[in-house]
Amino acid sequence: MPDPTDSDPLDPLLDRLGRQTPLPPAPLGPEVWRRISLAEESARGGFWERFHAVFARPSFAVTFVAACVFLGLFLAEVRRSRRQDDYNRELMQSYLRLIDPLLQAADRPSLAQTGTKS
Amino acid sequence: MKRTFAILFLGLLAGLGAHIGWFSASAPENPTELGAQLAWMRSSLRLSDEQLLRIRALHEQSAPRLLALAAQVNGMQGELAAFERARQTEGQIDFLEFARFVEERRRLDRECLASTQRLVSAASEVMTPQQRQQYLTLLEPALKMLRGNPSG
Repeated sequence: MPDPTDSDPLDPLLDRLGRQTPLPPAPLGPEVWRRISLAEESARGGFWERFHAVFARPSFAVTFVAACVFLGLFLAEVRRSRRQDDYNRELMQSYLRLIDPLLQAADRPSLAQTGTKS
Repeated sequence: MKRTFAILFLGLLAGLGAHIGWFSASAPENPTELGAQLAWMRSSLRLSDEQLLRIRALHEQSAPRLLALAAQVNGMQGELAAFERARQTEGQIDFLEFARFVEERRRLDRECLASTQRLVSAASEVMTPQQRQQYLTLLEPALKMLRGNPSG
């Protein structure tokens, strides 16, 4: 059981802190603004540093190149699909011209004109 | 810095290469060739090899006749243009000649329609009912146009 008469060595220090709070060395406002502007500057410079640091990681570089390849393949597939639709339409029209002489003839008006002129 | 730009460039190059390679890997055939049209029919209607062979033979048999009819239609379009020129320059046309022309044109249109229908019907007979229905659905717009406006 501790003796209540024994004083804690921290007590005098805590008492003194309450009485003698140290004053800041300079006015606080300008110092705060200085530190904020410093932090902003370091954040601005840090973007490119972070960007290069990310690309310097081999795992990210490989993932980036693979993503570019997949994007290229995806866009090519979209274009192929559109081209296939157009091609199917052309095939359909060509087939109709093949089986229908009237459409065949309508497709060649220039021949009719030439035949008339000669 | 250089490494970052090298990776960016490599990514761009790889993406572009993949795009061009994949896109140009399957360049379609000329759509006006019978082979391409039959290949399209085969995939659309899921035709068997035997059906495809018979349908190809039917189309190849009827092709000369259809081409000859198309040439006749072309010739008649020329005649019609000549009538129109005569009407514009001389102010009149030979009505007996024109009536003969109209009658001939109607006969030719009927013949064209009959030839097309014969070919479609013969090709349909090679198909299963489902294939036939799909085939006729594909041709329906053109057939409607022919029936609705046989004079072209």
